[in-house]
Amino acid sequence: MSDTSPKTARDEWGTRFGFLMAMIGGMVGAGNIWRFPYVMGDNGGGAFVLAFLTLLFLLAVPGLMAEVALGRYTNKGVIGAFRDVVGRGGMVGFGVVVLLVNIALMSYYSPLIGWTLYYAVHSLLFTFTAPGFEAQAFMDSFFANPALMIALHTVVMGSIAAILALGIRRGVERIVVYAVPALVISLVIMAIRGLTLPGASEGIAFTFGVQWEYLIASETWIAALGQALFSTGLGWGIALTVGSYLREYDDVPLGGGVFTAIGESSIAILATLAIFPVVFAVGVEPDAGTGLAFVSLVQVFPEIPLGGLVAILFFAGFFLATFTSGLLITEVSVTTVSEETRLSRTQTVLAVCGGIWLLGLPSAYSTEVLDFLDFVFGNWGLPLATLAIIGIIGWVLGPERLRVLTVNRNAGIHIGTWWNPVIKYVIPAVMLFIMGYFAWENFREPEMIAGMLVLVLFPLIGYAIMSLVEGRRDTTDTAGVTGGDD
Amino acid sequence: MALSAEVLGMLAFTLLAFWGVSLWALTRTLRQESRKVDILEQQDRMDTYSPEALAELREWIEDHPNDPLADRARAQYNECVDVVTQTDRHFYDWSDADINRLERL
Repeated sequence: MSDTSPKTARDEWGTRFGFLMAMIGGMVGAGNIWRFPYVMGDNGGGAFVLAFLTLLFLLAVPGLMAEVALGRYTNKGVIGAFRDVVGRGGMVGFGVVVLLVNIALMSYYSPLIGWTLYYAVHSLLFTFTAPGFEAQAFMDSFFANPALMIALHTVVMGSIAAILALGIRRGVERIVVYAVPALVISLVIMAIRGLTLPGASEGIAFTFGVQWEYLIASETWIAALGQALFSTGLGWGIALTVGSYLREYDDVPLGGGVFTAIGESSIAILATLAIFPVVFAVGVEPDAGTGLAFVSLVQVFPEIPLGGLVAILFFAGFFLATFTSGLLITEVSVTTVSEETRLSRTQTVLAVCGGIWLLGLPSAYSTEVLDFLDFVFGNWGLPLATLAIIGIIGWVLGPERLRVLTVNRNAGIHIGTWWNPVIKYVIPAVMLFIMGYFAWENFREPEMIAGMLVLVLFPLIGYAIMSLVEGRRDTTDTAGVTGGDD
Repeated sequence: MALSAEVLGMLAFTLLAFWGVSLWALTRTLRQESRKVDILEQQDRMDTYSPEALAELREWIEDHPNDPLADRARAQYNECVDVVTQTDRHFYDWSDADINRLERL
């Protein structure tokens, strides 16, 4: 925002519950529902749970505390937060990197939300339990219909724009306080239905059986690492943005760290209990991704008593999980662009959602484009954003400064000095490892080349934009607070 | 198919480790919120640091007197000291000995 432009006071969460549900709503997405159960069962079940839990407490909980605290410390969106820490200049461009990654992420996530909306609508029409229904043919014809995909993408972005235009308290909070509990309730009912089916125990044995040898396999830890970091949305700017709307006496570490990381993972555990007992009870092959949600499960519903209602619960829950994530991912850009320009919130929402809609057209048109972008941004774009956010906290602001000034202020639990090396060394090292690992795994593949372009071009573009923009602005304020020496 | 004790044990552990911790965190933070609201309805200000956290803040200020954020830190420290010494109800557990030891910076 221009320093002289008059804008009304910053919005804030109306209730503590609203903030907590926004955090969960932002982090719980498709991965919790259609990826986690299979990854867990495929990587040693209980052994995977132990690895995942360890990494959640080691990385995700402290990392989310840091990100929420940065938002609370600055009370600004991503670019404003970076400017407050590094001072005016090209380095603010790393905030632009986070913004660009979020826009790119949402451009292909919106068509995916459209898929869940389409299946939710068909569950309400009892399409999946109709005589002669063929799951594979239904999905194939859906994916082969670009006009329908684009229409759904348009409906999704239009709905998100309508909610975001109402603001944080009247828009986002009003939706998430109902949507997240509704998601949990729908999965609980589905789990009860699944667990009471004959043969459901095989699904439990597949996912919760302990294969201890997996605990010493590197693949288990890599899978757990990916799940712990990507599922919790650490470093994507969502936690920073949500945290920037906290009220004066709100806590950061208990709600923003522990509850968010463990709570959102609990929904993945619940999804496992809701999905796999049903899948195994009917004898369908367990799977992940579209194969699980749109083929395996859809084949299951006609086979079980009250299957039509279970289908409604599942797809309504699935849609809510993806939609609330889309809402919060888009809010990252809306908050930042609104602060950095003279546009009103409504104008910003229209500009951001319009831009994302336009950029999302190729992904809506072709699932190959969507898969490509998902792979590139999942493996390199998102870790780059995480590295940028955790990097400025760890190496510029300094974790000890943030800990004593913000993390432990009004805190529900006390965070000790153990937190500092995790933020400064462990998380950045892990993010570098992840990017390097995926580059090595996909060496010379087109995805890897695109990923390297993202790693090089996004920071360069961000630096160039902010050097230009900041050079034109008055430089009498904001010197930054570099020099954190812990 | 009967589930083995190991599978049931892991299921119970997983539910406790995830849902147990989540529900504990949710309940604790919402209870703390109601206590904060209750305190703020009676007085317009509230202590912002626990005794341990305030001591750490003081130590940091003394160790970094020329830090660009030292003034902000001092203001936050003094604000908390003022509230603790001037108000009757506190959010954190402050003993009389803790309060008597407090000094503005």
